[in-house]
Amino acid sequence: MVLTKAKIGQTLYVKHIEGKDKIKKFLLTLGCYEGEKITLISILAGNYVVNIKDSRYAIDKNMAKAIVVEG
Amino acid sequence: MKIPLTGNPNAGKTTVFNTLTGQTASVGNWSGVTVAERVGTLRKKYHGTDHDVTIVDLPGAYSLSPYSGEEKITRDYILDESPDVIINIVDGANLERSLFFATQLLELHVPVVIAINKSDMVKRRKNTIDLTTLSKVLNSRVVLLTATAQMGIQALMTEAIALGTAKEPLTAPQLTETHTDTTRQIFVDDIIRQSLVKETASSQVTLSDNIDRWIAHKWLGVPIFLLIMWLIFWFSIEGLGGYVSAYFNDVLFGEMVPHTANRLLESLGVHPTLQAVIVDGAIGGVGAVIGFLPLIMLLFFCLSLLEDCGYMARVAVVMDRFFKKIGLSGKSIIPMIVGSGCSIPGVMATRTIEDINERRMTTILTPFIPCGAKLPIIALFASVFFPGSTWVAPSVYMLAILMIILGGLLLKKIFVWEATSPFIMELPAYKVPSLRHATTQMLVKAKAFIYKATTIILVCNTLVWFTQGYSWRLTPVEDQSLSMLAGIGTVVSPILIPLGFVGWQLAAAAITGFIAKENVVATFAVLVSAGSTQALHLPGGALNQLFTPVTAFAFLAFNLFTPPCFAAIGAMNAEMESRSWLWKGLAFQLGIGYMLALVITQVGTLLIYGKPAPGFIPAIAITIFAIALVLATIQKADNQRNVIENAM
Repeated sequence: MVLTKAKIGQTLYVKHIEGKDKIKKFLLTLGCYEGEKITLISILAGNYVVNIKDSRYAIDKNMAKAIVVEG
Repeated sequence: MKIPLTGNPNAGKTTVFNTLTGQTASVGNWSGVTVAERVGTLRKKYHGTDHDVTIVDLPGAYSLSPYSGEEKITRDYILDESPDVIINIVDGANLERSLFFATQLLELHVPVVIAINKSDMVKRRKNTIDLTTLSKVLNSRVVLLTATAQMGIQALMTEAIALGTAKEPLTAPQLTETHTDTTRQIFVDDIIRQSLVKETASSQVTLSDNIDRWIAHKWLGVPIFLLIMWLIFWFSIEGLGGYVSAYFNDVLFGEMVPHTANRLLESLGVHPTLQAVIVDGAIGGVGAVIGFLPLIMLLFFCLSLLEDCGYMARVAVVMDRFFKKIGLSGKSIIPMIVGSGCSIPGVMATRTIEDINERRMTTILTPFIPCGAKLPIIALFASVFFPGSTWVAPSVYMLAILMIILGGLLLKKIFVWEATSPFIMELPAYKVPSLRHATTQMLVKAKAFIYKATTIILVCNTLVWFTQGYSWRLTPVEDQSLSMLAGIGTVVSPILIPLGFVGWQLAAAAITGFIAKENVVATFAVLVSAGSTQALHLPGGALNQLFTPVTAFAFLAFNLFTPPCFAAIGAMNAEMESRSWLWKGLAFQLGIGYMLALVITQVGTLLIYGKPAPGFIPAIAITIFAIALVLATIQKADNQRNVIENAM
């Protein structure tokens, strides 16, 4: 499923990321890549707040849809 | 010896830089505060010997493959400037992510010292970092830092200088193989397993998360943002700032300074003309500007607290939805908030926006937010034409926000481009803002303001004083309207008539305003003090001969929305990366400022005084022309969009 379908507080694993190579590469440097844990912390003003490694990021809905996760 | 500071955004590089060099660069709690390289000399107490050590503060980067403009600056510096030692500042609370960049640096065959910053936060989270193991697997020196408390700085520099002197690049054996990004992440994972013991999972809900639920709430987010900004501007312009500034204007620069100066110059037997140049020209004009110093100091004090606490990233999150509608993203709000202090760093902050078109749009719109230099104009006009009102200053900012939205919508219509860049913003944990840093920033900005007032504004003023008092034949004139300045102003003034600005004085003030916005106030001070005995800033003062309250508000708007000062235009030029875009941007700003002033004057005068303002007929003609021009441009853009669509 995509990240937008996750429940708040749920920790999942990144299956793959869709979209342009540049953004994929950027996410990878942040630690968001296949097999990594990602936790949905909350949804704020239409943005998805996620925990990747030890940091919080807010990402917009389109980007959240591009992150495919599995339980 | 050249030592750059590198590391992830918001790791604390600039805080370390300030400690090492004694400089007072602005720090903040969000990613992308530093967007340009900054050079300083290491203070003697940190090197002990007579080494000549240069410290270079670089923008934060997540890796050596840049994603946005400021990361590229860092990559280019590290690869092209052959540093002697690299200090890699690692955010201890984000060890895992930071090591990705750190291992890339270790492969460059340049000695690297790894400084784990925010060690206090590591301890508070009950995590333990095994320094010995970390140092062994990375085969490099590792030191602990708490930069905000200046702990570990000495040890860091001792290590760095020792490495720089030895000139022996340390290469970790494990790092000699070539890594792909993925194998590097796996390698880093392995290091973390060996060297970091975590007591609490970072995915647990924290205090910052709970605060965010309110601060960045779907509906409450925007009102909270507007309230915070309103409070800051009210406090600095009308609250405490207005109070202290009134004392400065009335007593200090209204009576004490000019009287003392006059008495002193008379006792010295100075020539009356020279005395007039000094007292009316220099002190009068510069004093009128410096009188507003308290406003600027308090504004920067408040902005510094705001930037330091971690709120900026949240505003970006809150505003993203709305900015998407005008083709921008939430990131565009940060340059605008920074720009409320000064447009130059504001425009430079657009560098963190990855998409070039989004960056250009933000660069055009950022100067719409009134900068600190425009505060004196706002405060002067508010106190003369709207005494006792508390709505003028905040309303100017509301107008600015409205113009950004309208301007953004218009830009989206007239320029053909696709907004595609995704929005991603790191949310740092909130922290208590440093009062010490805010005070330092306030004093630094005060010093810069006084410097500007006593150099460029002083020169402009003396020139204004001279040109308003002398004719082209260089003989003194009794009647100001026969002066050189009146002559120059008269050439420009016809184009301002449709805005209801009648008189060469207004044209003169608008022109000097392009050099520095404070000049508008200074120019009026000189023109008024030479022509009348009434004080400039008092209600019902001499400015009433030139304006009605309606045209005064229009003149305020004209000065706020037309292109910024020359220095900010220079910054715009750098960020636009294209001369033709700069001209388009300036034409757009000029058009918006001009039309806005025109509408305020003509509609306002008609509504409030029930009669048309001067220049009513030409104003209508110009409006029709402007509408036709905008419609034609939109039509052209639409055609271009169709062509692109058909081609796809």
